[in-house]
Amino acid sequence: MKAKERVMHLLNHQTPDRMPCFAANAAVTYDQMEAVQAFWPEGHEKAGTMARLALAAHTVLGLDAIRVPFCQTFEAEALGCKLKPGGSEGIPGIDFPPPYSIDDVPVFPQDFLSRGRIPELLKAVRLLKKELNDDVPIVGGIVGPLTIAGALLETVPLLRASIKTPEKIRPFLEVAEKAGTALAQALVDAGVDIIACEDMTASPMLASPDTYRHFEREYQTRQFEAIEVPKILHICGNVDLIVEYMGRTGADILSLEPKASVPLAREKCGSDIILMGGVDTVSTLYLMDPATVRLECEKAIADGVQILAPGCAMAPGTPLENILAMVDVARQH
Amino acid sequence: MELKEWLAKAAQSILDQDEASAREIATKALEDGMDPVEMIHHGFAAGIRKMGDLFDRGEVFLPGLIIASDAMVAAVEILEAALPRGQQQKNLGVIVIGTVEGDIHDIGKGIMVTMLRVHGYEVHDLGRDVPIEDFVKKAREVNADVIGSSAMMTTTQIGQKKLEEALKKAGLRDRVKTMVGGAVATDHWAKRIGADFFGETPADTIDKLQRILN
Repeated sequence: MKAKERVMHLLNHQTPDRMPCFAANAAVTYDQMEAVQAFWPEGHEKAGTMARLALAAHTVLGLDAIRVPFCQTFEAEALGCKLKPGGSEGIPGIDFPPPYSIDDVPVFPQDFLSRGRIPELLKAVRLLKKELNDDVPIVGGIVGPLTIAGALLETVPLLRASIKTPEKIRPFLEVAEKAGTALAQALVDAGVDIIACEDMTASPMLASPDTYRHFEREYQTRQFEAIEVPKILHICGNVDLIVEYMGRTGADILSLEPKASVPLAREKCGSDIILMGGVDTVSTLYLMDPATVRLECEKAIADGVQILAPGCAMAPGTPLENILAMVDVARQH
Repeated sequence: MELKEWLAKAAQSILDQDEASAREIATKALEDGMDPVEMIHHGFAAGIRKMGDLFDRGEVFLPGLIIASDAMVAAVEILEAALPRGQQQKNLGVIVIGTVEGDIHDIGKGIMVTMLRVHGYEVHDLGRDVPIEDFVKKAREVNADVIGSSAMMTTTQIGQKKLEEALKKAGLRDRVKTMVGGAVATDHWAKRIGADFFGETPADTIDKLQRILN
């Protein structure tokens, strides 16, 4: 089977020839950059370099899907946040000060899709679509409403407000949801097959589970309703306390870190939801050896993951042999 | 009101995450002639320690801990202003702390700073995105016992390693202990770069600090 057929089989609840293996989050390493001679920071900024680097996740690492972009700043930048460049080794982040404080009224700009680096991102998708001839699925990344709201306000003020004046976070979630949805729809128009929504700040490690349940879930659900292609929802860390609600957002796939319980996700979300995950990106994939990677992947498969994946964004310094070991485990299932 | 009652009220205001009440209690306890040091250590600090335990057990979440920490800081500020000049609080050690260069994440570090102060350490918080040389300079200036560095990304984590090297080069490494924290730090990482220890949670860090400094 070609990679796209394999992934789509699983999404249609049919049995693929083997387990797919790809990343919901960024999958770029320095080895990949060297192999295809495409580097950061251009990979975050220029369509051609971005496309070459993304493609290397399939050609160099052997993953069954490729993904753009490689950071979580496109929507926030277009909404007026200041960008902190990541240089040649890192990813761009959101710098201080934030554009808003909690009593402000955030604005969704009409020209959102032509702001910041979004035009280059969409161009990269179109280039990839042409190049791949529909053999390999393209995952387009967007950022969840609470996380974008955290960029607009800075995370600590957002978290404070989430408890003290929770209704005041709604206008920010509104604008953030609009931004993610608009980007997702544009990515789909450009040719992505799957949307992956990363929502780091929604993790119970940061926000209270009540904030997810009573606020974020509503916006996430609205967003997913407006996106036609299959959706992956990725929330970092141990999500056991909210996984039931994650399963009710309309996401087709939940991407879990090893800190979260796969059997619990299955129990709470039912048999229709597809679970992806496998190996901790820092403590194992980045720092350990292929044998340890294999063990952790086998455990995740035994626990019930259907797509083998790095648990979160891969560290760019991850050894190639560790990633290849992960891919090889999927090939044997 | 008896001291015991004031202490209980102080601790409860922190558990209630109620900054206005914490301020009011600090002010009124002073008016009532209570000892500010007692109020800090056996009142407000007892509350934040309990919050820390509840957080570690997953019964309180980060936003609650942040708000309780704000209340604690506000109350302590009022009480410290009433301390006679020169009367210092107990000092278990001098700590220089910051998030490494390139990294702008400092939520966990912020909580850590409050907890360390509450437990009686003198903390010099360098903030976020701190150049390596600033850690070294500050450590020398304040004669630090411990240097703590936080990193949230594998791409910035390398700063923790560079800090070890910079301290050696500056001839300070034998005189200070180093601790690393942040989402991507592990025991394995601490060992690999030669840091003295990895602090996972505030309670874990304080426990390890007490052992290493004694």
